[in-house]
Amino acid sequence: MRRKTAYLTWFGFHFALIVAIALHELGSLVAKGLTVIPYPQSREAPRPRQTVSRTQNPAAVNVARQTLVAYLHCAGIEGAYGFFAPNVPENYKIVFEFHYPDGRTEYDLPAVQSDAAVLRLGSLLDKIGRTDSEQLRRILVRMLTAATWEKHPGADSARAVFGMLKLPDPAEFARGVTEDYEFLHAYTFSRLRPADRRN
Amino acid sequence: MLRRIVEWFFRGESDQWLSILRVGLGVQVLLNLFALRHDWSSFVGGIAHPLLSRDLSEALLSLESSLIPRLGWFVWAGKQAGISEPLILQMCWYFLAALSVLMLVGLFCRASAAGVWFVHLCVVKSGGFLSYGVDALTTTGLFYLMLSPLPDRFSLDHLWCNKPTVDSERLGFWRRVLQLHLCLIYLFSGLTKALGRGWWDGINLWRALIRPPFDLVRPALLVHFRYILPIASIAVVLLELGYPLFIWQPRLRQTWLIGVLLMHIAIGLAMGMYLFALVMIVLNLAAFAPDVLWQGRQRAALSPVVPDSLSVA
Repeated sequence: MRRKTAYLTWFGFHFALIVAIALHELGSLVAKGLTVIPYPQSREAPRPRQTVSRTQNPAAVNVARQTLVAYLHCAGIEGAYGFFAPNVPENYKIVFEFHYPDGRTEYDLPAVQSDAAVLRLGSLLDKIGRTDSEQLRRILVRMLTAATWEKHPGADSARAVFGMLKLPDPAEFARGVTEDYEFLHAYTFSRLRPADRRN
Repeated sequence: MLRRIVEWFFRGESDQWLSILRVGLGVQVLLNLFALRHDWSSFVGGIAHPLLSRDLSEALLSLESSLIPRLGWFVWAGKQAGISEPLILQMCWYFLAALSVLMLVGLFCRASAAGVWFVHLCVVKSGGFLSYGVDALTTTGLFYLMLSPLPDRFSLDHLWCNKPTVDSERLGFWRRVLQLHLCLIYLFSGLTKALGRGWWDGINLWRALIRPPFDLVRPALLVHFRYILPIASIAVVLLELGYPLFIWQPRLRQTWLIGVLLMHIAIGLAMGMYLFALVMIVLNLAAFAPDVLWQGRQRAALSPVVPDSLSVA
């Protein structure tokens, strides 16, 4: 009986985590106004996070937090289950321009070889498009540019243009409307300078 | 009350579901590996032609927790032994493939399942930005498989080595865990979809189907059948929302399970998400199919399994 109680205790803990993560994600979707539930958007600036630890032993709290986060990743339950929900996300696209010293410009796309990798690349572009961190976006775009640059060894600068595909709805498509490309970000990188600049 | 809960969780169970989970996840991991064979270095961020640096994913992982498994650990160990990073990363592919084959055939079941879970987790976490839903679901399936009472009666461990299978109550518990987890997955997926306006008028289904790289079906064909889109879209929401309720009703269980399986087959075929479809089908079959799709054989299989050597004694 003691063994069964231990199993059930673990189960309660494990499932409480799954439910808490899912509810947190659901709450944040509602708060961002992405659902049909009306939610007043606050005009006040968000309060700064409490940075002073209230506990006696912050190191122990940190170890516990790291262990819990590692457990979530190990069990594959670190994320919520909202596949294509509440709405299908926008479709992002990245195009590279490679500029040569003689004035030529070549265009390219990030290249992968398999269909499975194409899905993963799409997932990466979604993450680039959705991140709130401009710094992270710039780093990811720079890495993608560097990977594609290997196919253009003579180019001395590159420009990565990140945009969003606006897809027509069925009625628009029936009227002949096609997809539209909306510019979001562009970054220029140079071989000579390690630093990049944003346009 | 507590006794009833304990009885419900620890109801004696056959190990058919465990065989389905072991074989299904073995096939899943192998297919995933072979699908990424030519893009392996891009995915795991090796030195040769990486799409993204593994260092970035692992640095961000470290911000969350330094205890999350990652390929960097293998690379570090390899460097201590004088093995180069590209070779270590390539060896990881072969190592994971070999472990998956062992798990698939059921040889050294527990160790191979734990090994597949660990290496798969390292790959997925180091792949970071290139991972998506299928990886987390596979990790979850492997996590439960590793903790479940292996070996099952169809494994080579049992058939060749006469390793005894364990008590049916523990089998019952882990199957309940898998069943309840699936219920939560569909409940929250259905609930989140139900809160999006586009799932009630079919627009989201349309957008999902014409969105690259999922646009396998020609939009012109979809427009021709556009009046079906809202019906199919609402059906998806209801199937997912109703799953945690109706999968437990004996009269509706078969209908709901077949409905969900057909939904995943359709997603796989229409959107090219074969691996995502496969892992969901495997998890569903393991969780509910032994009671539903081959109910007759389940009763016979409930008899305790005794290794040949013991039965002779």
